[in-house]
Amino acid sequence: MPTIESSKKDLEELIGKKFSKEELMEVLLCVKGELDAIEEDVLKIDIKETNRPDLWSTEGIARGIKAYVGKEKGIPEYKVLKGKRKVFIDEKLNGIRPKGAYAEIREIKITEEVLLQIIQLQEKICQSFGKKREQIAIGVFDLDKVKGNCKYFAAEPSMEFVPLGFNEMMSLREILIKHPKGKEYGKLIEEFEKFPLLVDENNEVLSMPPIINSDTSGKVTTETKNLFVDVTGFNQELVNTALKIMCMALADRKGKIYSVELNYGKKKLISPEFKKEKIVFSLKEVNELLGTEFSKKEILKLLEKRRMQGTVKGKNLVVDYGDYRKDIIHSWDVIEEIAIAFDYNKLVPETLNVFTLGSLEEENKGINKARELCIGFGLQEIASNHLTSKEVQSKKMFLEEEFVEIANSVSLNWEIFRKKLLPESLDFLSKNKHCSYPQKIFEAGRCVELNESKETGVEEKWKLCICISHSKTNFNEMKSVFEALARERKTGFKLKEAKIPFLEEGRSALIEFSDGKKGFIGEISRKVMEEFGLETNVSVLEIEL
Amino acid sequence: MAKKGLHSPRLDTISMVEETIKKNNGLSKTELWKKLPKQMMYQTFSTVIDYLIETKKIILNTEGKIKLVLEEEKEKTEGKESLKGTEEANERKEIKETGKKEIGTQKKQSIEVFKVDLDDKTKKIAVELSEIERKSLKALNEEKKELSVQELSEKAGIELDSARRSIQWLNEKGLGKARIQKSVFVSLGKEGLNALKLGLPEKNFLKELGTEWKKISEIKSIPKQEINIALGNAKKKGLIELKKEKELIIKTTEKGKEFLKKKSEEELMLEKIGEKEINTDLLSEKEKEVLKFLGFRKDFLKHKEKGNEFISITEKGKEIKTSEILLNAKIRKYNIQDPVQEIFPGKKQPYYKFQDEIKQKLVSLGFKEMKNPLIVQEFYNFDVLFQPQNHPARTWTDTYKLKKPQYGKLPEKRIVNAIKAAHENGGKAKSKGWKYTWSEKIASQLMPSAHGTAHSARQLVKGIEVPGKYFSTARCFRPDVVDATHLIEFNQLEGFVLGKDFTFRKLLGLLKEFATEMAGAEKVKFLPDYYPFTEPSVQLNALHPNLGWVEFGGAGIFRAEITKNLGIKEKCLAWGLGMDRLAMFKLKLNDVRELFSHNLNWLRKGE
Repeated sequence: MPTIESSKKDLEELIGKKFSKEELMEVLLCVKGELDAIEEDVLKIDIKETNRPDLWSTEGIARGIKAYVGKEKGIPEYKVLKGKRKVFIDEKLNGIRPKGAYAEIREIKITEEVLLQIIQLQEKICQSFGKKREQIAIGVFDLDKVKGNCKYFAAEPSMEFVPLGFNEMMSLREILIKHPKGKEYGKLIEEFEKFPLLVDENNEVLSMPPIINSDTSGKVTTETKNLFVDVTGFNQELVNTALKIMCMALADRKGKIYSVELNYGKKKLISPEFKKEKIVFSLKEVNELLGTEFSKKEILKLLEKRRMQGTVKGKNLVVDYGDYRKDIIHSWDVIEEIAIAFDYNKLVPETLNVFTLGSLEEENKGINKARELCIGFGLQEIASNHLTSKEVQSKKMFLEEEFVEIANSVSLNWEIFRKKLLPESLDFLSKNKHCSYPQKIFEAGRCVELNESKETGVEEKWKLCICISHSKTNFNEMKSVFEALARERKTGFKLKEAKIPFLEEGRSALIEFSDGKKGFIGEISRKVMEEFGLETNVSVLEIEL
Repeated sequence: MAKKGLHSPRLDTISMVEETIKKNNGLSKTELWKKLPKQMMYQTFSTVIDYLIETKKIILNTEGKIKLVLEEEKEKTEGKESLKGTEEANERKEIKETGKKEIGTQKKQSIEVFKVDLDDKTKKIAVELSEIERKSLKALNEEKKELSVQELSEKAGIELDSARRSIQWLNEKGLGKARIQKSVFVSLGKEGLNALKLGLPEKNFLKELGTEWKKISEIKSIPKQEINIALGNAKKKGLIELKKEKELIIKTTEKGKEFLKKKSEEELMLEKIGEKEINTDLLSEKEKEVLKFLGFRKDFLKHKEKGNEFISITEKGKEIKTSEILLNAKIRKYNIQDPVQEIFPGKKQPYYKFQDEIKQKLVSLGFKEMKNPLIVQEFYNFDVLFQPQNHPARTWTDTYKLKKPQYGKLPEKRIVNAIKAAHENGGKAKSKGWKYTWSEKIASQLMPSAHGTAHSARQLVKGIEVPGKYFSTARCFRPDVVDATHLIEFNQLEGFVLGKDFTFRKLLGLLKEFATEMAGAEKVKFLPDYYPFTEPSVQLNALHPNLGWVEFGGAGIFRAEITKNLGIKEKCLAWGLGMDRLAMFKLKLNDVRELFSHNLNWLRKGE
């Protein structure tokens, strides 16, 4: 789902191979990437997997392709050197933003492109994975400006620092009000009495998670040589994963990862910690699922191409993989990897070879017959939307009705589900006044009404609506059509005189079929014609099918 | 129509005419008449000819010649309707006895049209006259003078517009002479209409005055600005007496009292004009005088000079014996090249027609159609399909939710618990699950179905056959921006198949078959893809003969977390194709919105 912007040159350098556009499109498939656009050096890649945040930067994409083209294989290894720094995490942050994870990246060469990728990765992780910074907020700092151990605590909103992009001291509360990021993300913390704050040993502010970095240590440029990464949120597991993904990308840029101690008081953790996960399943499951005949050797080789490591233990396959792969939860997730490594197009499609009897839904038969009859009457079938407005369905029809409504509709025009087909047909006619008359139309479609007794609280009814419009049309003309329809469908009916708000009084009737279904027939009233801007008479029929 | 002075033909007269025809086959009516051994009145002769034509003894062909009906044909017709023979005999009796046989009334058979002694050009014109022209000619013949278009309309019994057209046509054909004369037409102006509705001011004034002297300040009924006019008019007509004391006082005269009793000429004139426009030429001199006086009053009348049409009959017009033409009025010859009213056959809406065809194809491939409700619970749209409740696709901006009603019912506890387990810890599927707390409330939230797979989910829960092939055409709803490639409501064709030993390769085979059968694709390509509810997943691309490689659909094997937890052992191969895109190809459209166009012209011209 996210679209990642990369530099083609940068990508090729990281992989260690050059590609033509066609070749690039092919290798991108291995990370489920689709090339949306290519403009000189700039690539716009749509990464379809929503559970692979590790792919949301050029480094991650390169990591996947490297194994696919044979430049590397197996689980990517990341060495973590022991760092001396500690971050003390205040338990008063419980309920506010309690969890953090930190790492140092030293001796990294930052180019413009690297900077772009850091920002992009940070952004993408926080927006989707981090649910717009609620679950994950990431900060990247100039390590050389961070002195000694850090403190992540709940601070008084009156505390001040210079936020990134500004040049004067502002209180935490002021930042929420005045700074653009404060306005955007302030709602995540503004209700609390104290705000999260990250400071170094000298009480220099690094950042106010999840809002904004400080202008001093929070500014990272191509001159920066060492980085400090901070991730905050509510779930340690999640926060750790985000940190690891950042570290992986930075390490791919030749940075050296140094660990940091997370000091929760009683609990102490080392971050980051790269672990391996394991999944075990029966070997034959692979060929059973895919329909292939891979040998053990072939399977293991294919796994390596997908940055995993497999070993055969008796009848089972044990697969190890990096713990950044949060998308692997079932054996079939691994088997898909094997198929991708092999290339789907090398698999020979097989026919199902199974005989089954096909059929249409029972209800549809009666509806299709009604449609055919209408065509036999020389009527033109139309299609209107199921979603419509209250204005068309009730106001213009002089009706007061209750409808099935959408809570978050994007426009008043698509706020409710149609309860009758007629208003939509009248709307159709009003758009075609320039076409030659007579105009004879019909629609067979579903209408929705409230019904508590049903499983979904609504009843979906198939209805048929016919409209005939020309200067000499009248009730009798429509009645002929209706009687013919009823005769052909072999349904008995009764007509009852009734006052129907949108039909001309004395020229309308309610229909009651012998099977309980209902309908109405008549001439549209002058008032309704005016509402719809119609100038030519219309006789109408609408029945439940 | 009974003709005056018509002698009822006797049986021997008829026989005599028949004999003459037999000896002189193929003469015109007049020629034949002259050939008769015994003289008779032309009218009588005409009656006999009509009768013989009616009884199928003779015909009058396109050249105006009278011919015998051939012997075999005669026998055929006589044989067929032997009853008619008796009728004929009765008819003859009737003619003899009553002589009242209506000739013009029983034109049930189509007879050839009369042409009597007209030159070819005029014959052609006569035969092609429209109803209104015939009626006009008849009226002109009868009135024997020039008629204005209004008079023509009245005398011929046709609409004013038709009379206008008739004058134009007759003039063009040389059957009438049209003349335009400028006449003055008068209608009521604002004040005139007021006076028509509320009464002439002086009348109202007088009504209020009564017989006693009244001060002018006491007059309440008339607005100040009109008092002077009313006073002026009344004084001029001698209806009131005026005296100046401290202020003006007024009293009605005898004449005034009389005036009140009946309608004045002016009032009559107002009524005559009413809401119409009348031609002042048609007024009498007296009426013109009254009109002149009315005209002096401000805003009472409106004058318009208009050209009015007049028509008089020409010699040529007189030649066309209107009665004979009118006789055949119902069966005039048509100019086959004339444009006629465009009509349209009943048709299916093009998209629905396409959808019907697709459904038939799938049924023929052995697929069973599933139910496809418009409204579903999130349970079927997402939860059964193993999409976690905190997935970004389930947020407020990405998916519609219902306000009314808000919550629906969930199936039996056993199934709900199975799904709950699947989400929280993988359930029976040997999976890690999503590791969060699953909520029944969220699952029962109602929404318009966002994808067709919701229907497959429902089918899996309801029960499936093994082997089984299922499909549905789903109407889906998503809060997308509407543009050339996106609709608020769109259609998906989706389904699944399941059976013993079904594999990923079989899914690829099924997809290839779809691409070839439904899109006429020459080749297919499979790409890795991602769907939250399938693993492995695949995207189908098809090579279209004109458009090159296009994305055709997506598919995959339903995740084990779905099937195993519903107690389904077999692999379910699920697939979904973009119906709207396919329809656009078939119907050669560039903008998806055109599929559901509300343009009646487009629908009428479609295939």
